[in-house]
Amino acid sequence: MLRLVVRRLLFIVPTLFLVSLLIFVMEEVVPGDVGRTILGPYAPADRVAALDHQLGTDKPLPERYASWLGGFVTLHWGESPILQQQVFPVTMQRLWNSAQLAALALVIIIPLSIVLGIVAALRRDGILDRVITVTSLSLTVVPEFVSGVVLLVVFAVILKLFPVTAAAPPGSGPLTRIHYLILPAIPLMFVELGYIARMARAGMIEALDTAYVRTATLKGLPRRRVVLNHALRNAMVPTVAVIGTQIGWLVGGLVVVETLFNYPGIGKLMADSATFKDVRVLEATVLVVAAIYMLSNLTADVIVALLNPRVRHER
Amino acid sequence: MTEDTPFQQEYAEHLRHEVLNGHMTRRQLLVRASVIGLSTTAVARLLAACGSKSTSTTSPGTTQPKMGGTLRVAMLSPVVAVDPTTMYDQGSIAIAQQVAEYLVWVNNDLTLRPVLAEKWSADSAAQVWIFNLRKGVTFQDGKPFGADDVVATMNILLDPKTVSAALASFQGILSQGGVKKVDDSTVEFHLDKPFADFPYMVGSTNYDCLILPSTYKQGTWQKNAVGTGPFMMTKYTPKQGATFKKNPKYWQSGRPYLDEVDVSFIEETQAQALALQAGSIDMMLATPVQGSQQLFNDANLKVLTTPSTMSRFMHMRVDTAPFTDKRVRQALAWTIDRPALVNALFSGKAQVGNDNVFCPLYPLAPKDLPQRNKDIAKAKQLLTDAGMPNGVDATLTVEQYEEIPQFATLVQAMAKQAGINLKLNQVTVTYYYGSGKSQPWLDVPMGITDWTFRGVPEQYFLPAFTSTGVWNSSHFKNPQFDTLAGQYDSTIDETKRRDYAKQAATLLMDETPTIIAYWISVNRAMRQNVQGVTSDPAEFLDLTNAYLA
Repeated sequence: MLRLVVRRLLFIVPTLFLVSLLIFVMEEVVPGDVGRTILGPYAPADRVAALDHQLGTDKPLPERYASWLGGFVTLHWGESPILQQQVFPVTMQRLWNSAQLAALALVIIIPLSIVLGIVAALRRDGILDRVITVTSLSLTVVPEFVSGVVLLVVFAVILKLFPVTAAAPPGSGPLTRIHYLILPAIPLMFVELGYIARMARAGMIEALDTAYVRTATLKGLPRRRVVLNHALRNAMVPTVAVIGTQIGWLVGGLVVVETLFNYPGIGKLMADSATFKDVRVLEATVLVVAAIYMLSNLTADVIVALLNPRVRHER
Repeated sequence: MTEDTPFQQEYAEHLRHEVLNGHMTRRQLLVRASVIGLSTTAVARLLAACGSKSTSTTSPGTTQPKMGGTLRVAMLSPVVAVDPTTMYDQGSIAIAQQVAEYLVWVNNDLTLRPVLAEKWSADSAAQVWIFNLRKGVTFQDGKPFGADDVVATMNILLDPKTVSAALASFQGILSQGGVKKVDDSTVEFHLDKPFADFPYMVGSTNYDCLILPSTYKQGTWQKNAVGTGPFMMTKYTPKQGATFKKNPKYWQSGRPYLDEVDVSFIEETQAQALALQAGSIDMMLATPVQGSQQLFNDANLKVLTTPSTMSRFMHMRVDTAPFTDKRVRQALAWTIDRPALVNALFSGKAQVGNDNVFCPLYPLAPKDLPQRNKDIAKAKQLLTDAGMPNGVDATLTVEQYEEIPQFATLVQAMAKQAGINLKLNQVTVTYYYGSGKSQPWLDVPMGITDWTFRGVPEQYFLPAFTSTGVWNSSHFKNPQFDTLAGQYDSTIDETKRRDYAKQAATLLMDETPTIIAYWISVNRAMRQNVQGVTSDPAEFLDLTNAYLA
């Protein structure tokens, strides 16, 4: 098991290398340049070229990549010429903001989805199952922009129960911050509900159909013990795996929600830096989010291994 | 100091004759009088002589101004770090304008309000302009304001290495070395050529001309914002917001009324509109109709509107097929149903354009030119005359900005009726304005460019339509137009100017290098209790007289 974890951790490093190189190359294709962004649309081309030269953005790709990489691995992430801020603190602050939103969404939706999935499985093909399945699927496919706007209009504008922006004033306590984050968390919960509940349901159905569960029931164990102690562990295997893949999106993929709720998260920072060719910020945010993707997948796999001994001892 | 120069007195007489002969309305009189720098006594005398009552140029508040309070405003985020000498976007400009000030402010009706300059006058050729600066003004760091600061700021702006948008505005009019200090409160501008409307060029519509301390170093403003304005910036968080506190030493006593201004950067119009409706902000800096339709009917809010010269220029390169023949360009212009565009895109909050830069808002805009509108038969005839009876094909490059994509789609549908097939090439704003060495908007055969408010038409036609203009996307090179442009700029005589304007407008309509289908009005939505703020044709934010009732 330990070997599994160590091997996976080691694998993260070359993957990040590859991602960083890919991002560098892709940014070459994106139109626009830093000099033009700073000087504006009306500056003559030769002045833009002069600024680009000064910032070093016209050097050949390998040279720029090498110099960026050198700074990055020594944690000298540099300064963004566009934001005029240090890259490291900005990235970390945004990451922390996104993490809070993701955590709130997960803390509420994981238990809820699992319970709903189990209930649906236990009452398979009954009315409750149909309702849960159809509702969760419908909510998943509603785009976050749509559900976000509807929630804002109903709960923030008409009922005035929640604030319109997600960023609490600085110095707010945890309860206030949660109050501000509830509305943006709901569209995320809608999306996750579909994935997690359906996976929990499928996992539970499969577990309930196995021979050992039949044996346990025939043995005379109470239904509750059969479900919770035996079937659930196995139902959780695919569920945890799904949650692991979703965490990366919940932290880094929320450009739409962050824009709508004016929340300073890392997703929007990443999108903006890509648009404006702010390469240092782009690389920092992408690599941070990529690392989170990989670590959360690894954690999910570890949990799966803990739940399922067969995985632990795989050659 | 309040005495007018002999030249100004003579000019006042000229203006009086213009009005008495019916060539000029009272409003136009006020604009010209303010440009030439007539004293208020002279203006009052003129108005009395013209037999009209004077009315205040500021809108009366409905209640007595209340001191104190915090105004919360939402606007777009500055694109890059804010530097008043090189800024070009809505957010940066609004931020900088709270802290620093201009010599002159351009009012919504195009009259000029003295700010850091108290009075100005010109020699009889309008080539040397003398500005008398306001005394007793200090910067927010305690340093007294004087001529050195004006000269230093102008030199930064006129330096080609600075890359200020102001440089393009000053091109051919004022160069480095042309700004001279006479004494601590007098500055002389020696222009490269006579220019009758010069005060506008050092006014708010040349938005980079905020006066900064002579010790200012470029690139340091965001961390150390210093100006002479009503508010001091106490906090700035990139992409999030800024806070401003009242300047206790502001030179206009009793102002500002507000204690604090709290700015939030919110990217989407819809998000701003929701915040306003929910009560978490008091005012949107600008309220484009698209995305905020629900605000116009909300009883808790009011939306102030002002006509503006903000527009979208659809240019056709006159040196590239199929638009080399002016009849083809005219044909496209005649397919466009302008009132329909105004309704569809702006719910009526815009004025129709007539393919020339003399927006009806300008005092000297010709009044009797026939208005172009949709006439498909005429368009088809023009195409046949040009030898293209089966229509033409062209690619229209469109930047994804506000209503421009919808505008292009509507034009595409209208043009098709005459056989003009436009293929739309939608690109981002970043791509359109260029990267590195290329500037697509100046190269594409056909494009739509957004132009913000300009106080005088020269600020459009000089860079966009003269042969040496730096923003001449249609590659229009017409010596006759160049001559007319030069004459319009340098003549003081109102009758002659009006005539040159009419000739220039007629020429532009005949050649049609650019289609100007509408002039957009600027809206500003706010809560009912916000007073002392008007909408601004350039989306500028002047909170000097703002208060919360």
